[in-house]
Amino acid sequence: MQISVKMKWLWLVIGAAVMLALPQLVTSSFAIDIFIRILLFSFIGVAWNLMGGYAKQLSLGHAAYFGLGAYTSTIMQVNYGISPWIGMVAGGVVAMLASLPIGWLCFRLRGPYFTIATIATAQVLMLIFLKFRDFAWGAEGTTIPNLGSAPLMMQFEEKSSYYYVVLGLLAVGLWITHRIEKSWMGYYLVAIGEDEDAAEAVGVNAPKIKRDIYMISAFLTALAGTFYTQYIYFIDPATAFSFNVSIEAALVSIVGGIGTLWGPVIGTVLLETTSALLQSWLGSSVGGIQLTVYSLILMAVILWRPTGLIGFATDVYHRTLRRKPARA
Amino acid sequence: MWETLAQAVINGLLIGGIYALVSIGVTLIFGVVKIVNFAQGEFVMIGMYISFFLATQFGIDPLVSLVVSMPVLFLAGVLIQHFLIRRVLGPNDMPQIFLTFALSLLLLNLSLMLFSANYRTVHTSYSDEAWHIGGLYIPVAKLIAFAVAMALSGLLWVFLHTTDLGRAMRAASQNRDVAMLMGINPNRVFAVAFGTALALAGAAGSLLMPFYSAYPFVGQVFVLMAFVAVVMGTLGNVVGALVASLMMGIAESLGIQFVGADSGLIVVFGLLLLTLAFRPSGLGARRGR
Repeated sequence: MQISVKMKWLWLVIGAAVMLALPQLVTSSFAIDIFIRILLFSFIGVAWNLMGGYAKQLSLGHAAYFGLGAYTSTIMQVNYGISPWIGMVAGGVVAMLASLPIGWLCFRLRGPYFTIATIATAQVLMLIFLKFRDFAWGAEGTTIPNLGSAPLMMQFEEKSSYYYVVLGLLAVGLWITHRIEKSWMGYYLVAIGEDEDAAEAVGVNAPKIKRDIYMISAFLTALAGTFYTQYIYFIDPATAFSFNVSIEAALVSIVGGIGTLWGPVIGTVLLETTSALLQSWLGSSVGGIQLTVYSLILMAVILWRPTGLIGFATDVYHRTLRRKPARA
Repeated sequence: MWETLAQAVINGLLIGGIYALVSIGVTLIFGVVKIVNFAQGEFVMIGMYISFFLATQFGIDPLVSLVVSMPVLFLAGVLIQHFLIRRVLGPNDMPQIFLTFALSLLLLNLSLMLFSANYRTVHTSYSDEAWHIGGLYIPVAKLIAFAVAMALSGLLWVFLHTTDLGRAMRAASQNRDVAMLMGINPNRVFAVAFGTALALAGAAGSLLMPFYSAYPFVGQVFVLMAFVAVVMGTLGNVVGALVASLMMGIAESLGIQFVGADSGLIVVFGLLLLTLAFRPSGLGARRGR
C-alpha cells in the first residue's frame, strides 16, 4: 500500500491516542484482560517475526526465552529482592546469551529440522527447571509476593497500569522491527529468508546475521516472560516454558502476515478475539476448542492466503481502489 | 548390576520397536515427499483410539484390529496427501511445516474435545503375562509388539527393494527430478509413501494398546522420539531410522534406570544435541545436508 509519509504519521498518532485512551474508556476488567493478552502476544509475535518472519528461521521453541526471562527476574526478585524492572533486562541478557549455544546447535539444521531442534531445546530447559528444586522451586513453582501498589517492583493495583507496560513493550518491539526493516540487516534477513545459499553467494554473512537476529528475538521474548509472570503473580516450569507460547508466537505472525511489521499484531487481534468470543459463547468447559479453531484458521491461511491477512488486505486494496496488481 | 543393565536394555529395545515404526514413517515421508510430517504422532494416537473402540465396542483384540487401523490410516494418508500436502509442495518451507503442524494441533485438540483427556486402556489376556528367562522379565504384550513391528519394517524393506512401486519410491527419494524424467508419476508415489507412513503409525497405535494408555497427547511422546531418531539416523534413511530408534529406546530406558524416572527424555534430547554438535548429518550419513 502506498501511503504518503504524512498520512502514515497521522494514522500512527491516531492509533497511539486510541490505544492510550482505551483503558480509560473501557473499564471492564474482563475487557482489559483481553487487551493485555492481545498486546502481550502481539509483542511475542513481533519478537518471533524478526527471526521467523524476515529470515524464515521457523522456530517453535521461543518458550525457551520466555521462560528464561520469567525465571531470571523471578529468582532475582524472590531470592534477592531485586526489582523486576532490573530483572527484566537481566532476563533479556540471559536469554540473549542462551541463544548463542542454542543457535550454534540448531542452525546446523535447516528447514523443518531446525524447527524440531528448537522444540527440543525449549523442552530440555523445561525439564531442567523441573529438576531445579532448591534454586527454582521445581515443579510446584512459586507465587510472587503481592506487595499491593509497588510500581518500582512492577506491581500495580490498577489493571490498566499493566496495560500501559505491555503497550510500551509492544511499541519498543515495533520500533526495533521498523528500524531493522529499513536497515541493511533487514535486507540481509529477507535475502536469507528467500534463499540462504544465494544470499551467502553474494556475500551475506548468513551465520552472523542469523546469530544476531536470534539474540535480538530472544531478548525481546524474555521481556514478555518477565511481564507475564508479574501479571499473573505465579511461575512454574509448565507455564513459563509452555509449548503454547511457542505455538502462538508463530501462529499470530503467520495468520497476520509473516515478515511484515504489523502482521503479528493483526494476527493476534484476530486469534485472541476469536478465542475470547468462543470462551464467552461456550464457556471454558470444552477443552481443546481454542486450539482447534486456531489450527483451522492456520490451515485456511496456509492453503488460501500464505501471505496472511496483510497480504489479503493489500490484494483487496489494490484490486478495488487502485485497480493495479499487488505485485509485478 | 548386570541383570539390571540387561533388563533395562531389553525394556528399551522392546519399546524401541514401536519408536521404529513411527520414525520409519517420518523418514519415508521426508525421503520421498521431502516434508516433515509433524502430525505423525497424532496418527499413532488415532490408531490407538481405533483399537480402543474396536476392543470396547466389539471385543476385538487390539492385535487383530491392526487389520482395520492400518488400511484406515493408509487411506487417510492418501487423502491427506492428495487434498492438503500436494497444495503446498514447493521450494518454500513455511507452508509445509505449518500445514502438518496445524494438522497435528487440529487432530490433537479435536480428540481432546471428543474423547476428553482421560486415559483409556484395554486389558487383554496377555496384558499382564510375562516370561521369566534367567533373572530377566519379558512382558509378552511388548514382545509381540516388538516382533510385529520388526516384521512390518522387514516387509517395508522388501517392498522398497523388490517391487516396482517400491523402487520408484526409492528413486524419488534419491533424486526426485531425475525420477520424474524416468516416467515415475510423482502424485502416485507421494500418495503411497504418505499412506504407508500413516499405516505404520496406525500399526504402532494398535500394537501399543495392550500395554499403553490412549490419551489425546500420547502421540507427542512418540513423535519427539521419532524426530530425534530420524535426525540421528540421517534424514530420509529407513535403515538408519530403525537402528537409531532401537538405540533411542535403549538410551531412554537406561536413563530411566540409572538417572531417574523422569530423565528418559533428557537423555534422549541430550543425545540429539550431542549428535547435532558432533555429527550434524547423522550417524549413518551418506551425504551432508
